Amino acid sequence: MLRYIVKRLLWMIPIILGVTILVFTMMIFCPGDPAEIILGSTAMEADLAAKRVELGLDKPYLIRLATYISDVFFHFDLGVSWITNVDIMSTIADRMPRTLILAVVTLVIAFGLGIPLGITAATHQNKWQDHVSMVLALIGVAIPNFWLALLLIILFSVKLGWLPAMGVGTGLAGIQYYILPALANCAGALANSARQTRSAMLDVIRADYITTARSKGVAERQVIIKHALKNALLPIITTMGISFGRMLGGAMIIETIFSLPGMGSYIIGAVNNRDYPIVQGGSIMLAIAFSIAMLLIDLLYAAVDPRIKAQYASSKKRKKVKAVA
Amino acid sequence: MRNTMINNLTKSNKKHKKQSELQRVIKQLKKNKIAMLGLYILIVEIILAALAPYISRYGYAEMDLTACFATPSFKHFFGCDDMGRDIFSRVLYGGRYSISIGIIAVLIAVVVGICIGAVAGYFGGQVDNIFMRILDVVQAIPGMLLMIVISAVLGPGFMNTIIALSVSTIPGMARMLRAQMMKERDSEYIEAAKSINCSQFSIIFQHLLPNCISPLIVQATMGVAQTITLAAGLSFIGLGVQPPLPEWGAMLSAARSYIRQSPHLVIFPGLAIAVTVLALNLLGDGLRDALDPKLKN
Repeated sequence: MLRYIVKRLLWMIPIILGVTILVFTMMIFCPGDPAEIILGSTAMEADLAAKRVELGLDKPYLIRLATYISDVFFHFDLGVSWITNVDIMSTIADRMPRTLILAVVTLVIAFGLGIPLGITAATHQNKWQDHVSMVLALIGVAIPNFWLALLLIILFSVKLGWLPAMGVGTGLAGIQYYILPALANCAGALANSARQTRSAMLDVIRADYITTARSKGVAERQVIIKHALKNALLPIITTMGISFGRMLGGAMIIETIFSLPGMGSYIIGAVNNRDYPIVQGGSIMLAIAFSIAMLLIDLLYAAVDPRIKAQYASSKKRKKVKAVA
Repeated sequence: MRNTMINNLTKSNKKHKKQSELQRVIKQLKKNKIAMLGLYILIVEIILAALAPYISRYGYAEMDLTACFATPSFKHFFGCDDMGRDIFSRVLYGGRYSISIGIIAVLIAVVVGICIGAVAGYFGGQVDNIFMRILDVVQAIPGMLLMIVISAVLGPGFMNTIIALSVSTIPGMARMLRAQMMKERDSEYIEAAKSINCSQFSIIFQHLLPNCISPLIVQATMGVAQTITLAAGLSFIGLGVQPPLPEWGAMLSAARSYIRQSPHLVIFPGLAIAVTVLALNLLGDGLRDALDPKLKN
């Protein structure tokens, strides 16, 4: 298992390097002259030229790329913002946790509600519980998260005044600022997980071992949770991976709506201000966070399914098993 | 004489069989009332959007400053926005942008995805490896983020939005087709095609592709739904289609500032997105059931 984790971690290096090269190369084609963006359109030509040299824009592409990569990976330096001159890495260190908290809270709500909903639908197939939860799921998939966010603001902030519509707080009271964003962002994932759970449960619920368990007199609750759900978990975890990616993306818009100072509002604000180093650095850091999340989900896979775990057992152990067999 | 008869017979047989496959899918789909409902909603929406100038009484940019923030009434079905523009007309016209962005972007993604997936899946080995590693890198960036970065580079606008959307849809399509290709490429009929010296082009596109396409059709239908949402999201944060064009996401973005006084500005464009996406998902679900060979009998 450890070998597998190490292998996967090593594999992340070329991927992240690839992402860095890709993003860096794309950003070169951004419209506008960086020196002019920094100094403003009224700057003198001599100042602009000096700024270009300072930024290294006079050097060839490959050298700039190499400098950037060595800055990022050996000095953990993403440069400074063109507009505010603030160090990007420290800003990200400040903002990334908020985005991750939002994503994790969303994921927990989505799957915490989605899986039971899916199980209810599957165990009551073609009854009203099934129809109601699947209609809910269809609506949940169809509603765009940013529209839901606006509707939630209208209801809970404007009409009822229960929850704040924007900002962040500190301490325990800060939780209330995450409730609406998480609710808005979780609808799609909740619906997806309910649908996936239902179909995965329906696949296993007719298997022979379920009949066996029932005929042994195992309580129905036990059969569903211990025998059926355990075997239906793999496709559900796959959905979790896909959902997490969408959530990180969706969170970007949600953060902007709720003025939550996370990665999304940082990057989108930077795009609008043409503050490209932030877009570049932010994208790379988000890609790293995303890759780590994917790794964790793959590990969850192995934890749930012993067959997958066995694949990655060390070769010594495998030989032993073979010898015994 | 006899030979030609047999030939004709096999020909007609073949034709008959080919037709019946498509007919079977259509028949199966027709039986599925919910999927048909989705299809009807879509058809109605497309007609409404196409005939917008004839249906709506106001142009999408026509301002009536006496009617600013008017609430829904018989004169303005959905009310008016901050500049007194009729929201009903704008939602109708907006359908043109939103739906066409979704369809065009997915079409581009499907074509490019088929090319990459087919080549990678059929040839395998080193070619496959190179393509998949590139896709790995692209997919390590969450979709929405990739779209935002591409829009930042290209700038906002109708065509650029389409490009940004299709680039981030391509990897999923390509991977799906590749997986199908790998499953099919060792089949006997491919061996047969190889043995009669078919060109690789015709093996891939004439023999393999038709047998691999059905999951892609489902994926594309769902993809249009997702793309419409993403396009609206992109316009919402000001990177997609620009105001005053009445794209649904752009309308929501403009309405956001008036959310406290006039919530009806927010309701209708969002409802339009939700209904379209719902209809496409219903149709996609139906198509999946109709195309799924597991449920054939």
